[in-house]
Amino acid sequence: MRDLSKPDHLPNLREGGQPPEPSWLPRQRRGITPQMIGRYPDYDVFDTAETWDPATARVIAERMEVRGSFAFFTPDEQPTLRALCDVAVAQDAEPRIPVPELIDEKLAAGRLDGYQYADMPDDRETWRLTLAGLDEVTAERHDGYRFAGLDSRSQEAVVENFSKAQLRSASFDRLNITRTWSVCMRMILAAFYSHPWAWNEIGFGGPAYPRGFMRLGPTSTREPFERPGATDEDPVRTVTEGRA
Amino acid sequence: MIRHLLKGAVGPKDNDSRYLLDVHRRDLPGEATMRAYPDNEEVDLCVVGAGAGGSVLAQRLARRGWKVVILEAGPFWHPDEDWVSDEAGSHQLYWTEKRIIGGNDPVELGKNNSGRGVGGSMVHYAGYCPRFHPSDLQTDTLDGVGADWPISYQQLRPHYERVEAELPVAGQNWPWGYPHTYPFSPHPVSEAASVLWRGAIAQGITMRVGPVGIVNGTFGNRPHCIYRGYCLQGCKVNAKASPYVTHLPDALAHSVEIRANCMAARVELDPSSRRATGVTFIKEGEQIERLQRAKVVAVAGYSIETPRLLLNSATKGFPNGLCNNEDQVGRYVMVQGATQAAGRFPTELRMYKAPPAQVSSEDFYETNPSRGFARGFSIQTVSPEPIGWAEHVLADGHWGRALREYMRDYNHWTTIGVLNELLAEPDNRVTLAEEKDPFGLPVARFDYSLCDNDKANVAFSTEVITDILHAAGAQDVLTIQRFAHLIGGARMGTSPENSVVDAHQRSWAVPNLYLADGSVCPTQGSANPALTIMALSSLLAEHLGSRPATERSRL
Ligand SMILES: Cc1cc2nc3c(=O)[nH]c(=O)nc-3n(C[C@H](O)[C@H](O)[C@H](O)COP(=O)(O)OP(=O)(O)OC[C@H]3O[C@@H](n4cnc5c(N)ncnc54)[C@H](O)[C@@H]3O)c2cc1C
Ligand code: SF4
Repeated sequence: MRDLSKPDHLPNLREGGQPPEPSWLPRQRRGITPQMIGRYPDYDVFDTAETWDPATARVIAERMEVRGSFAFFTPDEQPTLRALCDVAVAQDAEPRIPVPELIDEKLAAGRLDGYQYADMPDDRETWRLTLAGLDEVTAERHDGYRFAGLDSRSQEAVVENFSKAQLRSASFDRLNITRTWSVCMRMILAAFYSHPWAWNEIGFGGPAYPRGFMRLGPTSTREPFERPGATDEDPVRTVTEGRA
Repeated sequence: MIRHLLKGAVGPKDNDSRYLLDVHRRDLPGEATMRAYPDNEEVDLCVVGAGAGGSVLAQRLARRGWKVVILEAGPFWHPDEDWVSDEAGSHQLYWTEKRIIGGNDPVELGKNNSGRGVGGSMVHYAGYCPRFHPSDLQTDTLDGVGADWPISYQQLRPHYERVEAELPVAGQNWPWGYPHTYPFSPHPVSEAASVLWRGAIAQGITMRVGPVGIVNGTFGNRPHCIYRGYCLQGCKVNAKASPYVTHLPDALAHSVEIRANCMAARVELDPSSRRATGVTFIKEGEQIERLQRAKVVAVAGYSIETPRLLLNSATKGFPNGLCNNEDQVGRYVMVQGATQAAGRFPTELRMYKAPPAQVSSEDFYETNPSRGFARGFSIQTVSPEPIGWAEHVLADGHWGRALREYMRDYNHWTTIGVLNELLAEPDNRVTLAEEKDPFGLPVARFDYSLCDNDKANVAFSTEVITDILHAAGAQDVLTIQRFAHLIGGARMGTSPENSVVDAHQRSWAVPNLYLADGSVCPTQGSANPALTIMALSSLLAEHLGSRPATERSRL
């Protein structure tokens, strides 16, 4: 295992700009993380849930319940949406944070961000055109396929082009594709990182009212309930010997 | 000197807000017993917008016996129930009605710069409360860019001091601009910010703790900060200053009525005298127009909504929008460049602890000809929460597995930002769009483009903070280019040809119409604007309040 004080796992410092395979990460031992990988295998933000104020606890409980149903995206659009969301944040296995459902809920409720680029339609329209566009691009490249039907490699290749504003199709041509990428990605990221499972993965302390944070450093930046990042420990030994 | 010695011990006179607040509940005390004026009663003052500028004006004049109604488009907050310790759950704090953004460098609005609701944008501002420098009020004379203000720093200074005591502002003695001290001692600094500070020291850059409008110790019934870091999501503790805790409690105790969920649609004019008669508004859910009559009208809806309201108030005498016969309304809207650079360090820093606003520098604030551009920038520590951090990583070009990797590394990162003074340009402008809001009112369109001076400033400052990170020992650096803050849009000046309001913030065109918010500032310096907006309102209140009550209908 790697020494976490070193930055050699960071994409900018590696050839090809990609991180190591997630297999170097410990499996989650407490709580849930997306795909059960993370850097804080013994940390579960829900361990502190009894310290959250009721308003915050309610909002998070409601978020945890979003699952399964769609009000904005049509059944035809849903597979494309799901495939895009999976690739965009590399959710390639269960458990998955329900990103498509969280986005659907936001768009159905009309909770938009308060601005629309002059050369772009409404965000809701942008989403519909994007999903149509991904299928159009796919149909052209892989005869008869839709985006959701591609293997993950090919999907990633399309998304890579999307991120570099290199897609053309009838629907994409009605959009400014650079801005489209940012509109879609920011909504995907806001959904993913609003979810407590993602907080477990990254070791974020979560809601902190009325408790607050005491350990600002320099002696320690870790509250008693927070856990250190994964170290060289052998997880099997840790579990069998009961060292948390 | 006394201010210096008695840190934290001297409270403001003429503002009891800190004692009126309840220790056990966060609600604005006095809501249940709030005065309710009938629409047809001609009050002394109708303010549009319960934000930084509008609230200070209302509080001050209410103390002088004025009858005041504030119309506020957003809700009357009940922080215990409405505000959450959660990024995504704070969406309702922002102005999220549609606005159209254009130009070469469109400015994203919403959570980035616009609040909605009682307390305005300061409910979710970061809390930095620096003053402008004296030079900011004379950029034309000194540097040949921007504009000179029709008022002087010395006029503003007593109001800076007063507002600093009311917020109260905590920080080290301030060596920059017009040197001054702060009423409260500096807060402790987190390790995440200290790392950056050490990098600055290595680069020969001076940084100081603060200035932040966050209680250090206690202040009346307002408690000490609990360092939970959710300042941008609304302070549920009452430690961070916003008009909701600093001015509106006292305003309510002096018979101000805040009419929440009421969207001002038009300022009404008497066609013969060209005086404002009041404000037409629509209460959410009612869909009927009502008119609040008033002797004096003050618009304080901030840089996008104030011009929009004026433009939407066109009449026969003002076919292109109220006060806009000289084509000045909506022009010279400014934002600040707000590039942020994050650095990776070997140990866990957990930057989400403590307020994002901690340590800052104004070493680069003034023009230095050797840099090749006019004016300058300030440097401030910031600290994005996970969604903000994800946007930062995305902006550096990462998605998928690479993005997840950077996100998992969150706790090893710390972030430093700049505020560039971007220059006022006439074509950076608010106009009306084709689209309408749910009330049927045309929404605002905001066009923005950078000039060469702006681009040079942004590029230079990005290098400075990147160097700070490297000097601190950063192992990797990620950068995001962005904008922050709004100012201008209906600026004050010396004549109707170059401005919308005069030195007293009174519109040139309508004698009893005042603007009392950030839209009146002709330049913005590299300082965060809230303190200055409040100080300007305080100055305006002094001017209006010194007139005898009998003169109000003739103001
Ligand atoms: C994320 C963020 C961080 C910030 N950080 C800082 C910081 O650290 N330091 C700093 O100094 N500043 C900061 N700011 C900026 C600061 O909050 C604003 O500059 C300041 O609050 C503006 O004051 P104002 O009175 O002009 O407008 P606001 O405080 O925005 O008040 C305007 C009010 O008018 C209401 N309104 C508008 N139109 C209408 C209408 N037609 N009818 C009725 N009501 C209407 C709005 O709902 C709003 O409540 C930040 C802002 C944001 C969003
Ligand atoms: S860090 Fe302090 S000021 Fe900021 S929200 Fe928390 S308690 Fe309030």
